[in-house]
Amino acid sequence: MERYLQIEKINLKYNIPLHILISVLMLLASPLLLGVANLGAQDTAKVLEMYAALIGIVLLPPVFLPEQDHDIRDLVYTKYVNGALVYLVRILGNVLLLALLLGVYVGMLKYQGCEFPVIKYFFGTLAEMLFMGGLGLCFYGLCDNLVIGYMAPIVYYIAAMGSGQKLLKMFYPFSMMLGSYKEKGVLAWGAVALIGAGVWLRCRRKG
Amino acid sequence: MSTTIKIRNLNQYYGKKQALKDINLRIETGMFGLLGRNGAGKTTLMKVIATLLPVSEGEVSVCKRSTQHPQEVRKIVGYLPQDFSMYPNMTIYEAMDYLGVLSGLSKAERKQRIPALLERVNLQNDRRKKVKALSGGMKRRLGIAQAILHNPKVLIVDEPTAGLDPEERVRFRNLLCEIAEDRIVILSTHIVGDIEATCEDIAVLDEGSVIYQGTVTELLQMTEGKVFSAEISKRELELLKKDYIVTSMLTLGNNVMARFLADEKPFASAKLCDAGVEDAYMYLMHMERGGRGC
Amino acid sequence: MLGQLFVKECKQTVRSLIYWAIVLVLIFDFSSQLGDMSIKTKPEPGQEEYGTKPSDDPDLIMKSTLGNLMEEYVRESYTTYPIGFYKSVTLNQEDDQRIGEILKETTGIADREAAEKVMEEWYAAQESENMDKGDSEGSDGSGMAPVYLKPLEAEPAEGLTYERFGELMDEADDILGGGSDYSKESRNKSARIPMTYEEALEEYDHLIEDDRLTGGYARLFSDYMVIFLGILPVFLAVTRGLRDRRAMMQELIYTRKCSSFTIMASRYLSMVAMLTLPVLVLSLIPLSKCLGYAKSAGIAVDMLAFVKYVLGWQVPTIMAVTAVGMFFTELTDTAAAVLVQGAWWFMAVFGGIGDLGGGSYGWNLVPRHNSALNWQGYHDGFEKLLSNRILYTVIALVLVALTALVYTQKRKGRLQLRGKIFANRKNKSEV
Repeated sequence: MERYLQIEKINLKYNIPLHILISVLMLLASPLLLGVANLGAQDTAKVLEMYAALIGIVLLPPVFLPEQDHDIRDLVYTKYVNGALVYLVRILGNVLLLALLLGVYVGMLKYQGCEFPVIKYFFGTLAEMLFMGGLGLCFYGLCDNLVIGYMAPIVYYIAAMGSGQKLLKMFYPFSMMLGSYKEKGVLAWGAVALIGAGVWLRCRRKG
Repeated sequence: MSTTIKIRNLNQYYGKKQALKDINLRIETGMFGLLGRNGAGKTTLMKVIATLLPVSEGEVSVCKRSTQHPQEVRKIVGYLPQDFSMYPNMTIYEAMDYLGVLSGLSKAERKQRIPALLERVNLQNDRRKKVKALSGGMKRRLGIAQAILHNPKVLIVDEPTAGLDPEERVRFRNLLCEIAEDRIVILSTHIVGDIEATCEDIAVLDEGSVIYQGTVTELLQMTEGKVFSAEISKRELELLKKDYIVTSMLTLGNNVMARFLADEKPFASAKLCDAGVEDAYMYLMHMERGGRGC
Repeated sequence: MLGQLFVKECKQTVRSLIYWAIVLVLIFDFSSQLGDMSIKTKPEPGQEEYGTKPSDDPDLIMKSTLGNLMEEYVRESYTTYPIGFYKSVTLNQEDDQRIGEILKETTGIADREAAEKVMEEWYAAQESENMDKGDSEGSDGSGMAPVYLKPLEAEPAEGLTYERFGELMDEADDILGGGSDYSKESRNKSARIPMTYEEALEEYDHLIEDDRLTGGYARLFSDYMVIFLGILPVFLAVTRGLRDRRAMMQELIYTRKCSSFTIMASRYLSMVAMLTLPVLVLSLIPLSKCLGYAKSAGIAVDMLAFVKYVLGWQVPTIMAVTAVGMFFTELTDTAAAVLVQGAWWFMAVFGGIGDLGGGSYGWNLVPRHNSALNWQGYHDGFEKLLSNRILYTVIALVLVALTALVYTQKRKGRLQLRGKIFANRKNKSEV
């Protein structure tokens, strides 16, 4: 256990402080751009699904970044602790961070007088965050390219805006805005599959 | 045009840390060796000459062109960094062609020079190989070829033999010597054998300062009469190490054949030997660290 | 040297994974939005409806805008969409008082109480009207049928000129922080009226005669493509910028004779050209559809319309986004440009979402015109659009010049930001 905590400590200290800062700034900037007070359920869902969820793209894909250099990757993979395990610990850490940030944000919305089912919206948004982040991880693992890792979820997001539910069906990310929640379960399972696939693809590569 | 590099009162800083201290050097045509430990400042000095770092204090001119005008210097300098590679999905020929364009060579010049250079570094049969498929030695040879693509007057190679097998190393050194016939080749290394085999003029750097500049022969003269060898037991070796600088040893059963530095013959069984560059280098380092004789 | 480098850069781009990923996304964008594009047919007389259009009758505009203002004033809460997201604004006492004064000057209604009374009367009248309708139509008695209440309309005060009304509404919009229903764009669209056959025919004639069919569809094509082109080029530029470091080739290139400007210009031009190419190829599909229709309908089309719109409408966006990508990548040696462009894209797209129909292009990076029709709007907004596109072209070129400056400094060993920020990173992330 101590070993895993150490991995996470290093992650927090060296790998993601900048990404955490960006995520926090994005959330802090939201009152300047959009209303975050006295919203109804639908408008709250819009803020959460179309804006807050974006920090999933900021925080998840860079999990593979420290080992971008192949020499470092070889070095890490030859260590006693399995490379995949290192990634999983980091991912778990980042997921908890996302949940924490989202929790504070949702709490802030509630405090500002927005009317919405708190628990439901929290988990719904988290599922979307993880799905978008997982999409990034999976493509990063597949192509060994961080930029493609960012591009995949952003394209997904734009496609959802442009073509909407018609195209994405059960993978539609903004369903709470339309009052539907069943898509969130699909997104959550999809996120697990994508993250798993991403880690597997990453560790499989020996090039 | 004169082929000389002049460095006057060069001080180089990384933030508050001083990487080079008051360097004065004059480098003429031929092979010039820069020797020193890891972190002594060799790479910094080479990067300054190659215009990759701005001069903090002092003056550096390459064939009368100041490094204040990088564009001018870059025309006549070829550089091979310690760690380098090229776009992995390009073939050898494509990579050379790309760098040739960046060096301002015309299509005709490239067509003529690239095959000739690949032949010189013995890569003529691999021109369609992708860069990512090259071995360490092949990559080094390609590195040299790209560095002399535009026929520079000065070639700077940083630790070129690191990671090469003995055969490759010998071939590589010979190649550099050939190239150095009509230009300056600055070679940095922490492997003394490279210098011994190739250079006549050398400078030794330690903690950012030049602690020796001159010919290899002069360096050897400094240590003449100070290198001894003796066959001693392993227990005696520990005592020997306390009092003298042991430059090499060879285990012979229970005994050890030790080579060490001493101002005068320390004991009867010690035999005087011819000094090698490695011995001289160790001696120099010892003196620099405040050692008083051996 | 520039020409040779340009060709080499284009070849590199063609071999990169990211380029083909972008091309795939563009194809996807095209086929999902315009895959089943059908050509508008001539309106026939006697159709049930011909769509609606915003009225330009000052009286109607004033009535509906002032009604809205009165209602929001009574509710003490104002709805705005500064970047397309709902934002509710509550005013402090001073501003609230000023809105009260504006309302008084424009409608003659003295205070909040009086306004509330007018509002209640309006909706009561509406409801009773609905009820009468429901009775007469013989409802099933459930009383649950959705009722449509016409939004409040307020009579302008006597002697109120349209000009003065405009000034006061602009002030109200300012007080509310922009993006409110009282801004000029919103006001002009506040009252929608049905189009007549003649109007529909006139609009169609514009499409055939002024746009020669292809112009209108080239605008629609640009509208869809530009959304993705507002972000995709950044991925190519970032990947290209990071490639030298990743391939450990930076120093080999730095020490070459070639000027930084030539290196950066060749990369930039090749990326812009290679990104424009698939868009031009894709435009052949709607062009051929237009040609097919035009042949049967006997319309003389403008063959080059798509090329003109791609170059004039879409390329400035490609240029600006690519330049942002290059600049921030050279400056930071990280993928930070994705974040910067992502933020810009978000603001541009959500900010422009209220104005999809074309005509009011503003300074949006992704000017929208989500219709093959509305030639008049395009014609009226053309000057603004032109200055918009010129502005982004200039911004792009300035950014490229700055990138070349940054690159020059990096070649000399200055401005190596990453080296400083991440100096210890290699060692410490190994755990």
